[in-house]
Amino acid sequence: MLDHDNLARCALRRSEAPVAKRTTSPFLQFIAINSVGKTFAARTGSSISVLDCVDLTIAENEFVSFVGRSGCGKTTLLNIIAGLEDATQGQITIAGRPVTGPGQGQGVVFQQHALFPWLTAVDNVAFGFRKSGLNKTDRRQKAMDLLTLVGLEAAASKYPREMSGGMQQRVSIARALALDPQILLMDEPFGALDELTRIELQHELLRIWEAQRKTVVFVTHSINEALMLSDRIVLLAPNPGRIKRVFDVDLPRPRSRTEPRFNALYEEIWDELST
Amino acid sequence: MMRRFPQIAPPLIALAILLVAWELGVRYGFLKPYQFPPVSRIASGFVELSTIGFPTGVSIWSHTLTTLVRVLLGYVGALALAIPLGVVIGSFQVLDKLTAPLVVFCRSVATLSLLPLVIVWFGAGELTKVFLIGYGCFWVMLSNVIAGVRYVDPVLVRAARTFGLHGGELFRRVVLPAALPRIFAGARMALGVGFMVIVGAEMIGTIEGLGALIMEARTFYRSEITIIGMLIIGVIGFAISAGLTALERLLLPWAGNLDAVRR
Amino acid sequence: MSEILKTLRSNDLALGLIGAVAAVGVWEICARTGVVDPTLFPSPSLAISAAAQRLTAETLADNLMWSLFRVFSGFILGALAGAAIGIAAGWYRGFGTIVRPLIELLRPIPPLAWIPLAIIWFGLGEPSKLFIIFLGAFFPVVTAAYQGMRSIDPVLLRAAQTLGLDGLPLLLWVAVPATAPDLATGVRIGWGLSFGVLVAAELIAADRGLGYMIINERNTGGSVGVIIVGILLIGALNLLTDAAIGAAIKRWVGRWHGA
Repeated sequence: MLDHDNLARCALRRSEAPVAKRTTSPFLQFIAINSVGKTFAARTGSSISVLDCVDLTIAENEFVSFVGRSGCGKTTLLNIIAGLEDATQGQITIAGRPVTGPGQGQGVVFQQHALFPWLTAVDNVAFGFRKSGLNKTDRRQKAMDLLTLVGLEAAASKYPREMSGGMQQRVSIARALALDPQILLMDEPFGALDELTRIELQHELLRIWEAQRKTVVFVTHSINEALMLSDRIVLLAPNPGRIKRVFDVDLPRPRSRTEPRFNALYEEIWDELST
Repeated sequence: MMRRFPQIAPPLIALAILLVAWELGVRYGFLKPYQFPPVSRIASGFVELSTIGFPTGVSIWSHTLTTLVRVLLGYVGALALAIPLGVVIGSFQVLDKLTAPLVVFCRSVATLSLLPLVIVWFGAGELTKVFLIGYGCFWVMLSNVIAGVRYVDPVLVRAARTFGLHGGELFRRVVLPAALPRIFAGARMALGVGFMVIVGAEMIGTIEGLGALIMEARTFYRSEITIIGMLIIGVIGFAISAGLTALERLLLPWAGNLDAVRR
Repeated sequence: MSEILKTLRSNDLALGLIGAVAAVGVWEICARTGVVDPTLFPSPSLAISAAAQRLTAETLADNLMWSLFRVFSGFILGALAGAAIGIAAGWYRGFGTIVRPLIELLRPIPPLAWIPLAIIWFGLGEPSKLFIIFLGAFFPVVTAAYQGMRSIDPVLLRAAQTLGLDGLPLLLWVAVPATAPDLATGVRIGWGLSFGVLVAAELIAADRGLGYMIINERNTGGSVGVIIVGILLIGALNLLTDAAIGAAIKRWVGRWHGA
């Protein structure tokens, strides 16, 4: 759907307040978010704009974080990329194909673990292979491999309620990897975990990301977490949800919180966030 | 208003279609009027019931009143016994453990299975019906009162202790109010049980009351009167549960949704 | 002495047993000493011996089997229909908006009030009893299934969608299992109601079954002891089957659903 009014309005907005250089090379446009907006009809008859004129391109194998206050639309934007919600304006393409629904190569990890409580860890991961055409034993075997990847082969026969929050999120990541997605979309996946587990899982995620060469879009409210993980940090602002600024994090990995440049970037993002 | 209309319309239309199909089905001989009395006949039956009455002289209102009085007597009696007894049993762990299997068993005894025994005791009169309702209500109420008092959140009790409350005052100010939602849930369940029991109890050995009305009407091939009786029973059942929910909100505005209470 | 008391206090089962034995003992003593009239309320020992005299094992087993057969078949039909309709009403919005108000309209009518109409529709034979028991199971299960469907955590459905499921597979593999705990509660309530309804139906219109056995005993002026034994037997049967269903639910649902 090409809405010319929307495109023109967003182009004007871009020229007034440039947020980042736009990559035009098709090789670097793995995920292309073009003038995406989302409005809800409110009860009173007016409409609420959750997202407005979001333009962003994400390259293949890139690790991008969305940071912002609650209500800035970061989860909504992630859901639109996932195909779980529709944009009311604009369009998103993945490798040139418009997103029309879930299951187009997007693996999703949710804020709460979203594991099926009636399935054991290995069966939860095997559930991810349901559409793969594999038989039951092969599905289980592949699921075990993924559980091993996230370091949980010993907990394979545990039910979600018998696992700690950290274990639950590990299983969620394994399940999201089941269909070998090109993109991993993560919505505050470590937000509910304690500090130690959270740091542990951040390292784990980087390891998996580097080993499997995925494109990761990561929503978080923690600037620290975004700085530890990402190649780029997209700062969103509320009312209406829009991109305020994009930061390049060109620090070598593994990163350290004590590094001066880490802290300088932290301050910079914090300033932008609080004004 | 415009937004709510489409939600109410489809079921109303479905109901109307059903009733018209029913009426036409009888007219054109697909359904037997005795088995499926059409709406028109139910309406004229209602007029007859509220004026002449069935059996003659006993109007629908007097049937309803008889049933309600029986339920109320048994219910109030059961509550008057069960609440103090339940509070005592619930307050002492040993008493609760001693009586638990007994209470569970007595609650499992199907109330109406007592009917033959109670008839031997009290004859087929009013007392039998009131006793049966009382029995059904009593055990439901008792087990809920015990559970309510017994399983008060220990954090509340500990918090109250830090303010120096103990003994009778702790019980009156903290334990009892905390148990009230559960007690109320029990009272609601008990009324439902009482209402269920009365319909069955009235089907044997009496000609007054709604249960008797629908059974008698059947033996005289007056199925439209049976259906009217059922509808009135349904309306009363609905009014009772709606009334109790409203009362609960009024009396316990701080309590959460009691449908979430596990039995 | 105090040691014994202490171990007793911590042992729920032993305490409960003592309570039950004491209750039976008090009953026995009251009847023996004439505090209550033994012809109206015989002592447990008298009741059992009277029952042993008047009931052959064969008639007892026959009545028992009939009651169990009726309650099981009616309950299973009612629970299956209730689950199917409740789940469909929760999943398919159009079906739900039409069916649910009709169910809500009929739900306040207790199953027992359907007895006369059931006889009008199906005659005095087995189908009318089946129908009443069916209703006893149907309404609690249909309500629980619908409410269970409505309270599914949407994130579970979304997670399954991201794994490529939609339509019927999404319903069968995700929505239905997610409803299982609510469904189990409904099934248990439905079983209790079916059982109560069974006894009433057998009292009012039947020529065999445990309910018939006790009302027949009273109508033919038989022994109160037999009636009492019958009542206790029905109670024990209810308790046992309910415990069995509870244990089965715990086995299937309890291991993954904290209960």
